[in-house]
Amino acid sequence: MARGVIENLIEQLTKLPGVGRKSAQRLAFFILNMKDEDALALAGAITALKQNARFCQKCFNITDSDTCEICRDSLRDRKRICVVEEPSNILVVERSGGFNGLYHVLQGALSPIDGITPAMLRIKELVDRVHNDGVDEVVIATNPNTRGEVTARHIKEALGSFNVAVTRIAYGLPLGGDIEFADEITMKKSLEGRTRLE
Amino acid sequence: MTGRTEGIVLRSRTLGEADLIIEYLTKDFGTRSAFAKSPRKIKSRFGGSLEPFTHARIALTGKEDANLPRLTQSDIIRSFHPLRENTPGFIKACQFAELVMKLLPSEGRSHNAFALMLWGLDGLEKDPASVLVPLVFKLRLLELAGYAPALNGCTRCGGQTDVFYPRDGALLCGGCKKEGPALGLSAALIALHKSLSVFPLEKLSRIKPSGALLTELERFVELHFSEGVNVHIRSVKF
Repeated sequence: MARGVIENLIEQLTKLPGVGRKSAQRLAFFILNMKDEDALALAGAITALKQNARFCQKCFNITDSDTCEICRDSLRDRKRICVVEEPSNILVVERSGGFNGLYHVLQGALSPIDGITPAMLRIKELVDRVHNDGVDEVVIATNPNTRGEVTARHIKEALGSFNVAVTRIAYGLPLGGDIEFADEITMKKSLEGRTRLE
Repeated sequence: MTGRTEGIVLRSRTLGEADLIIEYLTKDFGTRSAFAKSPRKIKSRFGGSLEPFTHARIALTGKEDANLPRLTQSDIIRSFHPLRENTPGFIKACQFAELVMKLLPSEGRSHNAFALMLWGLDGLEKDPASVLVPLVFKLRLLELAGYAPALNGCTRCGGQTDVFYPRDGALLCGGCKKEGPALGLSAALIALHKSLSVFPLEKLSRIKPSGALLTELERFVELHFSEGVNVHIRSVKF
C-alpha cells in the first residue's frame, strides 16, 4: 500500500517540467519526511490555485478575485500600461522595480505560421483600455524575438488612431555578457539603441 | 546523425522551459528538426541565430538514426532580419516555410529547394510587396515536390485544351473531362507558367507580366494548392 502511495506521487511529480523520475523520487521522499502541516499546506496551495485562479477582468493577469492586486493598487501610475505576453512576465518586470504602472497580458504572441491571429490574443481589450482609461503610454514588453516583434508592430498599428505614446523595451547585450559572443543582430540592435553617457 | 551543413530556420517550437525544437531546411539533409538547449535564456550562445528564416552554418550531433539531433553550433550567414521587420513580407516568408514543411520530404539532398528558399527570401527582403516572387516560389516548389500542374495539352489524350481540372492537377479536353470544378486558362497564362517554371531564377526579373495576368496566375495557383495538392496555408494576412 505504502509503495502505491509513493509511486502515485512520483508519477504525478514527473508531470512537472524539468522533473525526471529520479528528481520526482527525491521530492516524493522529501515530502514524506516533511512536517504534516507543511505537506498539507503545499497540497492546500495547489488545490487553492486550481480552484480559485482566474484571469483579472482588466489586465488578464492571474488572480483569485475579479481584478488583480496590481489593478486594485491606487498607488500605481494608471496612465502607463506595460504589455506582456504571459502573466509570468509580470513577475520579472515587477522584480526589476523599474515600472510602477499597470499591465496588460496578451496571453500569447502573434505567429502566422502557427495560425495565431490577433483575434486569439487580448489585443482588442488593450485597445479598449487605451480608449476608455486615458492612457498616456503603452510600453510593449513582448519577447525580443520575431513573434514578439510582429506582435509589437501590430499593437502599434492598432493604437495608431489614439493619442498615446507607444514605446518598446530596449534591445541589446545582457549585463555580465561579453561582446565577443554577441551575434550580429543583437550587436546591431545594441548599436542602434545606444544612448549618450551622462 | 552528425554533420555540418547550411540551414534555413523554418519554424521553432518551445520545449520545456528554455529549450527549442528548430525545424530547418538544410542544404544536404532535407528538412530536419533539431534540439537546441536553452536558446531562450538571455545569455544563450545561440543569440538571434535561431530566429525564423535565418540562414546559418549549423552543426548537428546525434546517433545515426536519431530523429532529433542536437544543435551544437549555429553561425549566421545571413539573418534576413529586415524581412522579419516587415509584416507583409514576413507573412509571405511564413507561407514559404509552411509549404516547404508540408511538401518536401524530410530526407535526401535538397540543394535545389535550399537555393529556391534563399532566392525567395532574398526577393522578399528586397521587395516585400512582390507578387511575382511568391508565385514563382510556389510554382518551383510544386515542381520540386512532384506536384506541378500539367499544362501541356490534355494529360490523357494529348489533345488541344485550355481547361484545367484542379483535382487532377492537369488540363483535360472535352472527351477526357471528369466531374468536378474546372477553370479555363488563357493562352497567355499557360505561356507565363511555362516561362516562370523554366527561366533561370537569377534572370526572372526580366519577365514583366501584366497585373491582370498575375492575378489570374495567383488564382490558378491557389486553386491548384487547395483542390489539387490539398494543402491549406495557415499563414494568412491579419
